Amino acid sequence: MYLSEVSTELESIVDASIKKHNKFLIAVLQDIQRHYNYLPEDAIKLVADKLEMPLRDIYGVASFYKAFSFNKKGKHIITACLGTACHVRGGPKIVDAITKELNIKPGETTKDMQFSLETAACLGCCAIGPIVVVDGVYFSNVKPTMVKKIIEQTKSGIEKTDIEKYKHIFPVKVSCPRCNHSLMNTEHLIDNYPCIHITVSFGRKHGWLRLSSLYGSYSIESEHEIPMDTELNCFCPHCHTELTSSFECPICGANMVPLMIRGGGTVHFCPRRGCKGHMLDV
Amino acid sequence: MKKISSIEEFISFRKSILNEPADNTPTLVISAGTCGQASGANDIMRAAKRYILEHHLHEKVSIRVTGCLGFCQIEPFILAEPENYIYPNLKTEDVPRVIKAIVKKEIIKELMYRENDDDKTYCTLEEIPFYKYQTRTILKRNQKIDPIRVFNYFKAGGYSAFEKVISNPDQEWIISEIKKAELRGRGGAGFPTGLKWENARNSNNGSGKKFVVCNADEGDPGAYMDRNVLEGNPQLIIEGMIIAGIAIGATKGFVYVRSEYPLAIKHSMIAIRQARDIGILGENILSTGIDFDIEIVRGAGAFVCGEETALIKSIEGKMGQPEQRPPYPVDKGIWGHPTCINNVETLANVPVIINEGADEYIKVGMPGARGTKIFSLVGKIKNTGLVEVPLGTTIHEVVNKIGGGPSGKSKIKAIQTGGPSGGCIPEELFDLPINYESLNKVGSIMGSGGMIVMDESTCMVDIAKYFTNFLQEESCGKCSVCREGTQRMNEILTNISEGRGTMEDLTLLEELGPVIKDASMCGLGQTAPNPVLATIKYFREEYIDHIIKKKCKATVCKEIVSSPCQYTCPINTDVSVYVALIARKKYAEALEVIKETNPFASVLSRICHHPCENKCKAGEGGDPIAIRDLKRFATDYGIENNLYSTTEPVKKTNGIKVAVIGSGPSGLTCSFYLSKMGYEVTVFEKESVIGGMLTLGIPEYRLPRKILKVDLDYIKSAGMEIKTDFALGEDYTIDGLLDQGYKSVFLATGSHQSLKLGIPGEEVEGVIPGMQALAALNLGKKIELGKRVGIIGGGNTAVDAARRVLRAETSESVTMIDAARSALRTTKPENVTIFYRRTIEEIPAYKEEVDGAGDEGIKIEYLTAPVRIITNKGKLKACEFIRMKLGEIDESGRRRPVPIKGSEFTVELDTLIVSISESPDISFLKNEGLEFSKWDTIIIDPETCLTKRPGIFAGGDMVTGPNTVVDAVAAGKIASESIDQYLTGKEVKREYKLTRPSKYIEPVEFSNKELDELISAKRSEMPLLSSEKRKYNLMEVNQGLTEEQAIKEAKRCLRCELETIDGKKFLKNLEEVEERG
Repeated sequence: MYLSEVSTELESIVDASIKKHNKFLIAVLQDIQRHYNYLPEDAIKLVADKLEMPLRDIYGVASFYKAFSFNKKGKHIITACLGTACHVRGGPKIVDAITKELNIKPGETTKDMQFSLETAACLGCCAIGPIVVVDGVYFSNVKPTMVKKIIEQTKSGIEKTDIEKYKHIFPVKVSCPRCNHSLMNTEHLIDNYPCIHITVSFGRKHGWLRLSSLYGSYSIESEHEIPMDTELNCFCPHCHTELTSSFECPICGANMVPLMIRGGGTVHFCPRRGCKGHMLDV
Repeated sequence: MKKISSIEEFISFRKSILNEPADNTPTLVISAGTCGQASGANDIMRAAKRYILEHHLHEKVSIRVTGCLGFCQIEPFILAEPENYIYPNLKTEDVPRVIKAIVKKEIIKELMYRENDDDKTYCTLEEIPFYKYQTRTILKRNQKIDPIRVFNYFKAGGYSAFEKVISNPDQEWIISEIKKAELRGRGGAGFPTGLKWENARNSNNGSGKKFVVCNADEGDPGAYMDRNVLEGNPQLIIEGMIIAGIAIGATKGFVYVRSEYPLAIKHSMIAIRQARDIGILGENILSTGIDFDIEIVRGAGAFVCGEETALIKSIEGKMGQPEQRPPYPVDKGIWGHPTCINNVETLANVPVIINEGADEYIKVGMPGARGTKIFSLVGKIKNTGLVEVPLGTTIHEVVNKIGGGPSGKSKIKAIQTGGPSGGCIPEELFDLPINYESLNKVGSIMGSGGMIVMDESTCMVDIAKYFTNFLQEESCGKCSVCREGTQRMNEILTNISEGRGTMEDLTLLEELGPVIKDASMCGLGQTAPNPVLATIKYFREEYIDHIIKKKCKATVCKEIVSSPCQYTCPINTDVSVYVALIARKKYAEALEVIKETNPFASVLSRICHHPCENKCKAGEGGDPIAIRDLKRFATDYGIENNLYSTTEPVKKTNGIKVAVIGSGPSGLTCSFYLSKMGYEVTVFEKESVIGGMLTLGIPEYRLPRKILKVDLDYIKSAGMEIKTDFALGEDYTIDGLLDQGYKSVFLATGSHQSLKLGIPGEEVEGVIPGMQALAALNLGKKIELGKRVGIIGGGNTAVDAARRVLRAETSESVTMIDAARSALRTTKPENVTIFYRRTIEEIPAYKEEVDGAGDEGIKIEYLTAPVRIITNKGKLKACEFIRMKLGEIDESGRRRPVPIKGSEFTVELDTLIVSISESPDISFLKNEGLEFSKWDTIIIDPETCLTKRPGIFAGGDMVTGPNTVVDAVAAGKIASESIDQYLTGKEVKREYKLTRPSKYIEPVEFSNKELDELISAKRSEMPLLSSEKRKYNLMEVNQGLTEEQAIKEAKRCLRCELETIDGKKFLKNLEEVEERG
């Protein structure tokens, strides 16, 4: 045994991952890396214990692949592409500009643990480089002068958008596909718009769930706290029919919840807490 | 949906989908692959959905979100089916307009695709040249498919190959089809796929299991076709894998995909799940007894895992270190089981072959290389994206026809293929048909299809360094030659790129390369030296430039270049220093720095063509610093305050006599420096005035004569003797000068003879050579121009061929505009028109001059060339012109103008000034023992300005043909150094040094607010004399920057010189001093 005491959180992550990936080491380490943004020492030891492998083998794999890191990463990860196409189009100047702005070199993290800077060998967007990815959001044709703005945008929330200003964020009005009763609640506002009101049950709990009616917003409120990854059963508060469909969430495979859009079209959302799967068909 | 459990059911299911009545409502196709999303496709999609919802258009229009359609550069776009109208680079605010038009079956032309240099609008996808010349067998499918909706794939004819194979799972037949189709691996090595499958099928090591692996570990930087196919059409890969599985008898497949491709992972996971649900994947598929399922394995960021044995180890969960082959994976693969590994694109071709049959498939491509190949055409090229062409297509077709040639004004010099394992192919070899063997032969490889275009702003040493750096990081470390060798190569290349290289280094690299190739076990090491060896092979000159001349033409290598402005300046002006001094309000010091390297400071501050500004880093993504205007601010300050108006002549000369022939910028510069060194210099000038082209060729409104006089007086104060009205050949000879005791001669007589058009009727009255007109106008002589004046710049292609294209054309277009503007000022014609045979894009004259001419009412007819002169009683009456269009790319890297048949037209003219170019007059030099080129320019050693005759040097326009003033000044400086070496008995040889500023100036501290303002600040523009005020007089047009403007402009400078090791040292010292102090 490499580890005598284990935090329950870590153990549950490792256990779930080992089960999911059939003891496949790289995938397990990838899950841990994704969750913590690095591989904590305890995690590596725990994996060694659980897989009954010598620690040196785990360390060998973890140090061989670039995707793994032994150092804690910042809250936001900035990845600048240094593929050949980005290189000839000025990628190194972008890295210089980020280094100047944040005072960190590639592979380092700011002292306040806000930003980590990484470089990638190629992100596959070669036609529109140089490419910078911040927390999964891609920026194309980046110029050194844009770096400051990108970093500031990250600080203020990269997915936060001003709905008045942006034409692509818009509210939808929905009704129950069975009884056609409106599901809109005008008294409770989420994101400053009337919200969608349904009832849900999970485990032994039953209560209301309010969702933002903005297409593209993931804001919700609920009567009970819903643990991550819980798959909810959703119901119409008027006719009490279960809202479900044969349509599967493209991300996690759960059966999606259908809602009718007033005026035509349907919107499906994934009933799994934390999953961002949704589809709007017009 | 319910699982399908029999072949019959599957056939009728497919049929029912295909038989659905065609839906004729317009469909908006929005491509949202990773590249599309990066360009904002999601916003377009939401804006479109919003508009459709709000305007109840559900019945009238539908939306399909697809993967990338290849032309990433025009993303985000809306493609409107069925017509395939395309709206490129769409903004969210334009989405409503576009949808409205689509519903009404109208088009909005101004939002449609255009190539920048012609006016034609391309409405449909098929018309766009980028698409028109491709054969998009694989890529065209993406348009019909929303990758997360499997029904789209069926609707587009998908799984018909699967149906064929599952109905008749005859392994022999499948393999024979693939063999007959001559399909070869698209991942790089080009191994015959049919043979690999056959080996895998026959392999029986008793382990009981077999595997199929789809290699989507697309590690070559610059290649992304696998991402595209997997993201945009994952079912196609699944179909290919099932067929492979059936053919070799495998029950399980793995897709090994890079973790850098999250969307590809997501879409393939969805696709696999959907295929399982339908019953295409899993156990006992369609009750046939065949089992096949697919699992996704995400890579973890190791390039070497693209190598098949390393990939197998990685799938097994181990370190991805390659193994010795044989045994090959088809015999002993994952966990010892036979494993067949194919690239994504290879598998994508499998359903195509099965569907259309091998006989049909081999009609595309060439023997030994059938079918199409996808290339990612990226880098310095106009149209960038994924290009699919038949194998055997030439590089030229891909780069120039589909890619549309260079992205800017820089010429394309090479492409790089095969990623870190490949090499570069220079432009001279672009006629090469692309296939596996042809690329090998020239030292590169096909690789996965990355094709990175490089132009003159790409440094080949830097590229080699880039790849060796990549490889030394990615080398798994197993073989020491690869591990240490790539590292050593990288160190040597770093030395060269930082100006510390030696010629021995080059030899060492060439020796090291083959050793690494021979002694490495896997493909990574065996190909690692390719980028280095290929760049040395084709671009040896660039290496030598770095090593000997300390030059990086592309201005990429930081330690060599220091600041690009100083580096680019032909006379090594300390730009960053004087700009920094202006920012600190030390104007006199700034002027001193300028004068240090430049005797023509005031002249050049007005008329220099400022190559420095073209390379200024502030100009990348913003405006370049107005360097020339800042210089003018300093020199004007000097004139006002009477600073440095004369120089100290040496107290006592050394008594050695030197003759300088010609008093233009080159001759006077040489005289100035020789006089300062103590020589007794005599300048001989044919005209009665000195200054050469500065006096005769450049109009006063650009260069006021009192400004010119400032510099001429300054130069004269160095103490030379000047003899005017003294013509070589008439009044004296070179031999005569030597007899008189002159120990050395510098020839700088310029290039004053206007070239002829070479068209009928040119000799008549009314047609005036450009130089003659300009000299007359500049000297205030009276010439009669009449009311209607035409100026021709650029003649026919016959003239073109006889000139050194780019450089000559700079001068040609400058004199053409000078002539037009001078004519307008001095003789008051009613209209002045310039006829130019290319477009405004190609005009190399300074933009401000072209704009100035426009403001003054001068018309410019682009794409127009003269055909013949029409005369009346021996006098000019009119000129017939022909319209041109831009054709193929010529040797100058620009598209050559070609006449449009039947477009001739006539313009009535009183005077036609022919300003196509000038050549030197060498009639007086015939018997002086010198050699001349076919353009009548004198042949010298460009390193030293020495002619073929000892002691006789030459420089300026008589060597280069018409050229810029600063280059002439530079030649004068080089000549003065060479003459000094010659006369002091030293070896005549140019000395090269790394560019460094003469001193480092402390940067100005900025507040955050000030910094923000400076980042977004535009370039300070000089006030101009209004176009009313400047008509019919010679007042200077440009009025100079104000002090406030100058300081602000100087503060915008990015201070590149502080980013070198030396510069950083200076900054560090500064910090330490501050801390102590």
